Amino acid sequence: MTRRGLSAAALLAPATLLVVATLVAPLVLLFRYSLNRFVPGEFMVEAVTAANYIKFFTDPYYLAVLGTTLWVSLLVTVICLVAGFPAALFLARTRTRFKSLLILAVVLPLFVGNAVRAAGWMVAFGQKGVINAILGGLGLITTPIEIMYTTTAVIIGIVAVNLPFVVLTLQSVLEGIDPAPEEAALSLGARPFATWWLVTLPQAVPGVLAAGVLCFILAMNAYATPVLLGGPSFQMMAPVVANEILQQSNWPFGGALSFVLMAVTLTLTAAANLIVARRYRV
Amino acid sequence: MSTVTLEAVSKHYGDAVAVARVDLDVAQGELVVLLGPSGCGKTTTLRMIAGFIEATSGTIRIGARDVTNDPPYRRNVGLVFQNYALFPHLTVFENVAFGLRRRKVAEADIARRVASALEMVQLGALAQRLPRQMSGGQQQRVALARALVIEPDVLLLDEPLSNLDAKLRQDVRVEIRRLQQSLGLTTIMVTHDQEEAMTMGDRLVVMSGGLVQQTGSPRALYQRPANRFVAGFVGRSNFLDGRATGSGFVTKSGWQLRADHDLGAAGTLMLRPEAIQVGTGGPNEASGTVEDVTYLGAATELSVRLDGGDFLFVHETVDAGRSRGDRIALTVPPAALVGLSD
Repeated sequence: MTRRGLSAAALLAPATLLVVATLVAPLVLLFRYSLNRFVPGEFMVEAVTAANYIKFFTDPYYLAVLGTTLWVSLLVTVICLVAGFPAALFLARTRTRFKSLLILAVVLPLFVGNAVRAAGWMVAFGQKGVINAILGGLGLITTPIEIMYTTTAVIIGIVAVNLPFVVLTLQSVLEGIDPAPEEAALSLGARPFATWWLVTLPQAVPGVLAAGVLCFILAMNAYATPVLLGGPSFQMMAPVVANEILQQSNWPFGGALSFVLMAVTLTLTAAANLIVARRYRV
Repeated sequence: MSTVTLEAVSKHYGDAVAVARVDLDVAQGELVVLLGPSGCGKTTTLRMIAGFIEATSGTIRIGARDVTNDPPYRRNVGLVFQNYALFPHLTVFENVAFGLRRRKVAEADIARRVASALEMVQLGALAQRLPRQMSGGQQQRVALARALVIEPDVLLLDEPLSNLDAKLRQDVRVEIRRLQQSLGLTTIMVTHDQEEAMTMGDRLVVMSGGLVQQTGSPRALYQRPANRFVAGFVGRSNFLDGRATGSGFVTKSGWQLRADHDLGAAGTLMLRPEAIQVGTGGPNEASGTVEDVTYLGAATELSVRLDGGDFLFVHETVDAGRSRGDRIALTVPPAALVGLSD
């Protein structure tokens, strides 16, 4: 018993130390900073004040940024789940010998960094970009449509970044679901959509939750995509945090923003887990 | 309930033939067993009847209705799977009610019909359980209730006993047969277990390599197998190569046996181990040496090398305490000779 306890401790120690050193300690430090006072010219003044948090919750600009971040992240999550589920189900159920190639095709976009991918979208979305050129060439539009520097561009960009994660997460869960109950449902008179809705989806709930949470967290913290595709007037939380810390050198307020972002993300994730766990007894 | 008719039903995967021109008539209230080793095409045939696999050619009829191109949800078949395939997230009640809800049956009727279906499989008290809280035997009985409550035209059983241990297998087998006979269910069952097939089936269809080898009652298949494959698959057998003579059979090593019936142009002689008698006193006597003894409980299997060179398995029902190397005399009754053409 004691020996087993010791060896477990030995196995867990490296990861624990790494997490404490690289995550917990900086977070504690950042939280401490968020309680400091910012005096322009003097950088950061030691204090214990809630002023930075009060500033966030009383300034409509920052609340609007949080609002944008939330609804963009939720929309991205819904789009990724809706678009990713059929693909994941196909990957999980296919008997083709090209399955590993198909999975590779899903993973392939991850080989390209977010910033590079966003740069690619800039080429596609611009006034004289690929999309406008094609639509114009086909005679479908006469004046170029505005995609670049719109919310639509940001949503498309983040969906493209997150979709592989969602598909892979869903696929691994769907692999473990026995297809026989679906056949039972069909034989009992359920049409394919009813079968999916009543039999496949309820069994896939833990996977949908995991994929959704992953996607939501990634979207809430998206940085490169909103900066590059959203342009200067479109603001999400992560770029604003970076701006406060890097441009304004306002570490206390940047710290407060970070903790608000983290708290909101964690709260919604926990709430989703609770609601789903209660509803589906998973 | 209804009849099922298969006319020249085939399934090809590219060049590979999974099922080759199967013809089958299942009468109202009959239990037909598709029997064969894995890969023989029995499961593919069942899945074509259920509608999960599209037939490459041929016609499948349920009653007078041509269902060849119907999707599974329009066929009105009850299906029972090897691994139960219950809906894991639904209670026993909701599992059984599933098919009725799809048919928009009124709530009061659902409650009544589900209750009586669960009564029928003696699980009335467990309606609010989840499948994972039940034993394998109970789960398979729920699956049976779920398949029967929709009053299907035909009941399809896909290896329904294979996941159960020996004792439960016996119980569920009796249960299925009892319900099938009392409700007059037209039933098609797939199994690789010949004992299961023999004890449950009104009629057996032995398949191999996608082809139907023989169709007939368990008795007919056992006593008059059409070929060596059927004889070998249904029960234990001895095969002796040689040729039929006018009055019997002569083996390659020269053992002459007399038959009381015509063996045709048989090139193989089949003898059931239990049909061979130990001792003398008939026309077809031979003596030999016991090479091995296997105690089977109800009988003892003796491996006997005849002095002429032929080899036979013999089942002796009295425990004579024989051992390796003992001398033994055998007699083959003329009625026991079965001639096979291949």
